[in-house]
Amino acid sequence: MTALLTIQQLSITLQDNVVLSELDLSLNKGDILGLVGASGCGKTTLLNAIAGFSKPSHGKIVIDELLLSDDSCCVPAEDRQVGMIFQDYALFPHLTVYENIAFGISKLSKAEQKQQIDQLLTILKLKEYSDSYIHQLSGGQQQRVAIARALAPKPKLLLLDEPFSNIDARLRNELMVEIRQLLKQFDMTAIFVTHNKDEVFTFADKMAVMAQGKLLQFDTPSVICQYPNSYQVADFLQLGSWLPCHLDAKGAQSLLGRLALDNNSLEPHKLAYLLVKPAQLLLNTVVAEDHIANAQVDYISVTEQGYHYYLSSLESAVTDKALSFSKLSLYSDSVLSLKQQVSVSVKPHKFLFFNKSN
Amino acid sequence: MIALNNSKTWKFSSYVIALVLMVPVLVMLVGGISASTQLFAHLWQTVLPTYLENTLLLAFGVVMLALIFGVFSAALITQTNIVFKKQLRWLLLLPLAMPAYLVAYLYTDLFDYAGPVQRSLRSWFGWQSPNDYWFFDIRTLPGAALMLALVLFPYIYMLTRGAFEQQDQNLIRASRLLGLTAKQSFFKVALPLARPAIAVAASLVLMETLADFATVQYFAVNTLTTAIYDTWLGYGDLGAANALASVLMLLVLFVVLAEQRSRAGLRHQSARPNLSRELIQLSFSQQVIGSIFCWALVIFGFLLPISLLIVMAVQYSDVAQLSVLISTGINSLKISVIAATVAVLIALSLGLYQRLHSDKFRHIPQHISGFGYAVPGTVLAMAMLSTLGPLDHWLNDLAVLLGFSPPGLILSGSIFAIIFALVVRFSAIANGTIVSAIKQIPQSLDYAPASLGVNLTGSLTRVHLPILTPAILVAWLLVFVEAMKELPAVLLLRPFNFETLSSQIYQLISDEMLEQGALGAIMIVLFGLLPIVLLNKSKEKV
Repeated sequence: MTALLTIQQLSITLQDNVVLSELDLSLNKGDILGLVGASGCGKTTLLNAIAGFSKPSHGKIVIDELLLSDDSCCVPAEDRQVGMIFQDYALFPHLTVYENIAFGISKLSKAEQKQQIDQLLTILKLKEYSDSYIHQLSGGQQQRVAIARALAPKPKLLLLDEPFSNIDARLRNELMVEIRQLLKQFDMTAIFVTHNKDEVFTFADKMAVMAQGKLLQFDTPSVICQYPNSYQVADFLQLGSWLPCHLDAKGAQSLLGRLALDNNSLEPHKLAYLLVKPAQLLLNTVVAEDHIANAQVDYISVTEQGYHYYLSSLESAVTDKALSFSKLSLYSDSVLSLKQQVSVSVKPHKFLFFNKSN
Repeated sequence: MIALNNSKTWKFSSYVIALVLMVPVLVMLVGGISASTQLFAHLWQTVLPTYLENTLLLAFGVVMLALIFGVFSAALITQTNIVFKKQLRWLLLLPLAMPAYLVAYLYTDLFDYAGPVQRSLRSWFGWQSPNDYWFFDIRTLPGAALMLALVLFPYIYMLTRGAFEQQDQNLIRASRLLGLTAKQSFFKVALPLARPAIAVAASLVLMETLADFATVQYFAVNTLTTAIYDTWLGYGDLGAANALASVLMLLVLFVVLAEQRSRAGLRHQSARPNLSRELIQLSFSQQVIGSIFCWALVIFGFLLPISLLIVMAVQYSDVAQLSVLISTGINSLKISVIAATVAVLIALSLGLYQRLHSDKFRHIPQHISGFGYAVPGTVLAMAMLSTLGPLDHWLNDLAVLLGFSPPGLILSGSIFAIIFALVVRFSAIANGTIVSAIKQIPQSLDYAPASLGVNLTGSLTRVHLPILTPAILVAWLLVFVEAMKELPAVLLLRPFNFETLSSQIYQLISDEMLEQGALGAIMIVLFGLLPIVLLNKSKEKV
């Protein structure tokens, strides 16, 4: 299967700022890619470069074996067959729903237009709003019009810029499921940008994490979730909390005890951070001889999965300042009080250590 | 995002348009400033100090009076519970439609020694001659200041009212919670917050005052504008007229700079203006006094003069007057329609250039083209004469050289010069309306057509122009009305025997025969009402 979209060595410099650097990416037909990253990481610029609204300073963009942009050529946006759903939808306020959808297919005959638009209106449940103006619609309806309008010219690739940011939180999940089904129905290849990882988990087949103009990791959401490839990725996606450890040849030493390692690929005698997911942290109920208190409760909140506690290291127990920790997340049904001293330990599992620098 | 267009033709023509609008004023300034020092020395020793003094005194007087009228009425309307508030709110805008020279003439007629007021006073009290009593003389500098302030204060009223209404009510609420009474919080919070808006409005009034010609001319108060007019039409001295115009232009530049500075302070406004406002509760007598103050402004600034005009029109109208009215009206329509159309086309072209072109300095042509609004009509007329005159001579020489018969003064001696001047002067109005409408189009709408396979031409004709249509109509109408009302530039530039409504009325006023032009005067006032209705409507929508 050849890739529908291939991006090679893409770099963009805007006013001496490197916004994207040496980015490689490829996507198969029908894939939905979720692009996450903090604001200013270059994800919207990447969308704009694919759409033709931003000029790359270097690199190649190919869609469906058609070269759109390299160092010498740049196909104008209107000839790229790339559709876009804008963050504010960019619907034309002076046109009706029907006319908005017809905008990009005005070259077709009236009959063809009508047939195609009717089909879209039916699928997107907009039939009765065909003659309405945009300001008469709700946010969700407006978004469906934007999707219908973008799909009408049958683009090869659909770009969505923070498509769910204007939607009420309660409706968001429902809408994401609905739109995902729709895109799958059209076998549409799509890239969407968000800063919310949960949207990616619900909506996308592939996930790309970006920071400072670079692609940090590109894989399926489940792989990234289980095996983040760097401190930055795990930290941005908030996959767990961090426990500082000293590594040596046989294992790792932390303020929550010693962790045995089978094989240590990381450099010994160095400070590393263990990624601790809530399920991997154990609250030892009985403070007995072998369960000395090693943490205290700093903060309590109530969640649907029980109590959520933030723990920090006990000052008296800190032997090495570098190993002290804070904001360690613990979910538990037990009722603890603020400043209470507890004993916690890390369940044995496949430990993931990271260095902060990479 | 990259800009959507990088057409060289568009870029070139944008800069050319901006430059052409600018050139006459530059030529005049260069001519005026480089005029012989001898000329300046002569002017300085003879008339210039008086002209300057009068101009500055008049400006000071008008601004002070207009501030008192405008800020007080705005505060009463927005902050207190005076009676008839709802009606006064829009009635107070009406004086803006009244040209100052009309008010000046009508009140002179009314309050002169031979006028009905003094006549009745004399018959009531049995006075025989002017020595028996004192009565204020309206045809003086303070009188002119009062006349101008009466019709210009609505600028201050309108912008100050807007500022008060746009203020973040949470700031006022916070001050109340911190222990201030409604009155204290007005003086300590609302008024200081409105200061930038008041300053902008005051500089608008100042500019209008510096540009005024007919009122001061009628009152025989010698200011720079009348001096320019007399020096050119009376003595035919283009050099001296240019020099005086340059001095006036420099004064105006100061005002423009002050205005720009105050504008920078305007961004502190806005946020939650829609929260309900708590009013300062006035006692009954205070309410009555406040209401009388506002009614007096409305009556003396609009209702009384328009009634006097209507009475005149009813008493003196005849067929001959009507035919003159029609022929001058057609002339006015002709120049105003052309000027409005050209100004709107320029504003659209430069506004869209600023929005869509890749040029790094794409805002410059649009900014330059808006500069003309500050240039008083008399100055602009001098600028046209000193630019188009030589150009005409050059064209004639060229024609003769090429073996054609000389075409005459086709530029400076035709309505071309008037239209050119009107476009330069009122482009800023068209710009303001159209640029702010363009700014309201979300940036994403520029890009959406391309994402749907539609190119820039399609985008302009199918998206931008249709969305901008209402703004285009408003801009056209605003320029049209201003062009109908413009007097000094038309007076100085009109071809022989070419009369417009405003120049005709001015002639009649000079000859103390306004009765014969009362219908035309009413027409001018009615046209002047159009933008006020529009402005008020758009303000209501906010």
